[in-house]
Amino acid sequence: MSTITESLNTINSLEEMAEGNTIIHRLHPMVKLITTMLYLVLVISFNPYNITGLMVFAFYPIILMALAEIPYKPLLKRLLVALPFSFFAGLSNIIFNQQLALMIGPMPVSYGVISFISIMVKTIFTVMAVLILIATTSLPKISYQLLSIKVPKIIVEQIMLTYRYISVLLEQVSNMYTAYILRAPDSKGIKMKDMGIFVGQLLLKSFDRAENIYIAMKCRGYDGNYLYAKPSPLVKIDWLYLLLVSGILSLMRFFDLSQFIGSFL
Amino acid sequence: MHMADALVSPAVGGIMLAASAGAIAYSAYKCKDDLDEKKIPLMGVMGAVIFAGQMINFTIPGTGSSGHIGGGILLAALLGPFPAFLALTAVLLIQALFFADGGLLALGANIWNLGFYACFLVYPFVFRPIIKKAITPTRITVASIVSVVLALSLGAFSVVLETLASGITELPFATFVGLMTPIHLAIGLVEGIVTGGILVFVYKMRPELLESSAENKKLPMNISIKKVIGMLLIFAVVMGGGLSLLASSNPDGLEWSMAGVAGTPELEAVGDVYENAANVQESTAFLPGYTFKSSGEEGSAIGTSLSGIIGGGITLLLAGGTGYLIYAVKRKKEKAA
Amino acid sequence: MLEIEKLNYAYPDGHQAIRDVNLKIKEGESIALVGANGAGKSSLFKLIIGISDIKEGSIKVEELLVEKKTLKDIRRKVGMVFQNPDDQLFMTKVYDDIAFGPRNELLTEEEVEVRVVSALEQLGITHLRDRMPHRLSGGEKRVIAIATVLAMHPRVILFDEPTSFLDPQARRNVINTLDSLKMTKIIATHDLDMALDICDRVIILHHGSVFADGTVKDILLDEKLLSQCHLELPLCMQKPRVR
Repeated sequence: MSTITESLNTINSLEEMAEGNTIIHRLHPMVKLITTMLYLVLVISFNPYNITGLMVFAFYPIILMALAEIPYKPLLKRLLVALPFSFFAGLSNIIFNQQLALMIGPMPVSYGVISFISIMVKTIFTVMAVLILIATTSLPKISYQLLSIKVPKIIVEQIMLTYRYISVLLEQVSNMYTAYILRAPDSKGIKMKDMGIFVGQLLLKSFDRAENIYIAMKCRGYDGNYLYAKPSPLVKIDWLYLLLVSGILSLMRFFDLSQFIGSFL
Repeated sequence: MHMADALVSPAVGGIMLAASAGAIAYSAYKCKDDLDEKKIPLMGVMGAVIFAGQMINFTIPGTGSSGHIGGGILLAALLGPFPAFLALTAVLLIQALFFADGGLLALGANIWNLGFYACFLVYPFVFRPIIKKAITPTRITVASIVSVVLALSLGAFSVVLETLASGITELPFATFVGLMTPIHLAIGLVEGIVTGGILVFVYKMRPELLESSAENKKLPMNISIKKVIGMLLIFAVVMGGGLSLLASSNPDGLEWSMAGVAGTPELEAVGDVYENAANVQESTAFLPGYTFKSSGEEGSAIGTSLSGIIGGGITLLLAGGTGYLIYAVKRKKEKAA
Repeated sequence: MLEIEKLNYAYPDGHQAIRDVNLKIKEGESIALVGANGAGKSSLFKLIIGISDIKEGSIKVEELLVEKKTLKDIRRKVGMVFQNPDDQLFMTKVYDDIAFGPRNELLTEEEVEVRVVSALEQLGITHLRDRMPHRLSGGEKRVIAIATVLAMHPRVILFDEPTSFLDPQARRNVINTLDSLKMTKIIATHDLDMALDICDRVIILHHGSVFADGTVKDILLDEKLLSQCHLELPLCMQKPRVR
């Protein structure tokens, strides 16, 4: 079914991107995690009516994508999927705040419209930043880093295990779904009354699988503790990137480039 | 329903991250002492099952629309609350990273909304008591429907509070709740029926799976009511604080949010009017040099803001140009090499 | 080096999976364990690695009795390669998966690396070191599953259907890999052609007991014996039927 194939493709394409070897890919995962978080905080900290100041933050995703050689098409596609919810949340602003903010020629622009644009721009920026993070840093690498900021081991194990078995399960579901649809050709999906058995079967199979995984772990000396190698330390270039990017981002937050350029017009 | 990064304020996002981190840390601590090591791989695989299960669209009879399963109550029923909460956290993190479902800053809010209520409030105080006396298909079905509806409604209500406290959407409280409640009741009903169907099937095939998690010898389920209420109180205080902070920077906002809570009818009118001069001043303070005029008055102000917007356009072009330049230089280098 | 005496095993539901099995296996032997589905191959493996509890009879690995308190040492001596590599490879990186066992032995990270690298080199798959298991082909996963066991330096390896679900080339590759391993091997399989290629002894299980035990020639060429337990001659020994 399309959603399943699509999610498999999404994961695959992001993973393939993360296998790249550019300057961004080589950076320490921790550094990328911190700068991404900083970027997110700064972007959403903008007042809903300030869209000109926000614009300068477009530099970050665009430059990063170029440096990391990330193809923009798959990211934009993902972005489109994420937009509708923000779109509706933003739409309400247009309806509920119709006070006039400015005129562009004969066209009146309300505060609602401005904050709507602001929500959409913020959505685009934040979604891009997160996608760029995962397109340049594989999930296992990110979760290793969580260990070094004292996230409990069991959570990291859960992330890793879930991640490992998502593609296995998606494939299984897709096979079961095909088998179902072949025998129920006029059905548009699984019938609601069959869902119990459908997902139930999936659960039972998964219980058996988990049992086998447990045995496999036991055979290799597992006694309730996952052991990992220590994450590697930050090197000079990482520190440099961290300081430079956080510095520039913070400056961007307080310097309105659009306004500056506009003042020359 | 997943909150997006763009819809939370840094404060609300941060607070919810902290709240969820607290719940995660407590669950991890609980699991560390009492969890059967066998459950570690099971939790991981179950997380993947929920992930894949949510992709299955099923048809809802008589409506022509389709639905998909949630997961909080299902996981809690199969794994017990603490492991379920951890498994769900992992799923939400992966969804946030790969699918832009929610975001990293909103992750705390999403974990809380979709996990906390289901695992620590509804499951122990509603679901389990219903099936504790006797596990029968009817009881499982009833427990599932009631629990899913409750968990979803609580989650949806939190979404409303968090969004309002973030001050990003301007939906009035009552309208927002009025929009969310019927939708989530309907979704909850459908999801609850399906969850019940799944659990009944599992119970018929392998009764020990449900029995063991309902009794659970090793990992005690008796979550102390005090702790849960304590956490909820903190949540309420923080959200209330957030709302009032927002309101104090926006005096009319207080009025409308209070009006909303009280459900006064003049609300709709308030919606248009509450943006007054104070608000304009506030936003202009953030935009030095800008003077947005509130109405009709033509003058230099419009010129400035227009130029600002044109400046924004140029900024975007510049950013795009820089990106293109880097691409071009890289390609040239590759060709040379 | 592996001794099984008077072994009986019944599942909790009463099904008798193993009936009075007695076996002696010598160091370095390569044994094919064959039999129809449900003949008891998997049950026997589970008993040897101590996943199922032995209630009647005994199993000894290099004089060490399989029981609760020896399990840790037994599992260091006995490795098992699962039929479905997705069950065996549960980490997100090939390296970490192979390192899982050595790390559990509490080796230092340098020692772990030596183990992982030598396992990868021995099987000729060093290029897969940093890949993610879920992105590999079935054949590659199978070989990595073998590497995860090799890295624990086992004395005996149990293989559960190592050639199932593979395309002909991947199957050949796995067979060559198995052949290159010089430790004691017990291979549960329906693939009698492989048994013919790389095993020197064949044990037939039938309804939970040892039905026949002998050299590859004695057993795999005995058409009558094979058909008695739902098996047939290896394909390469059958008359070609080309239409």
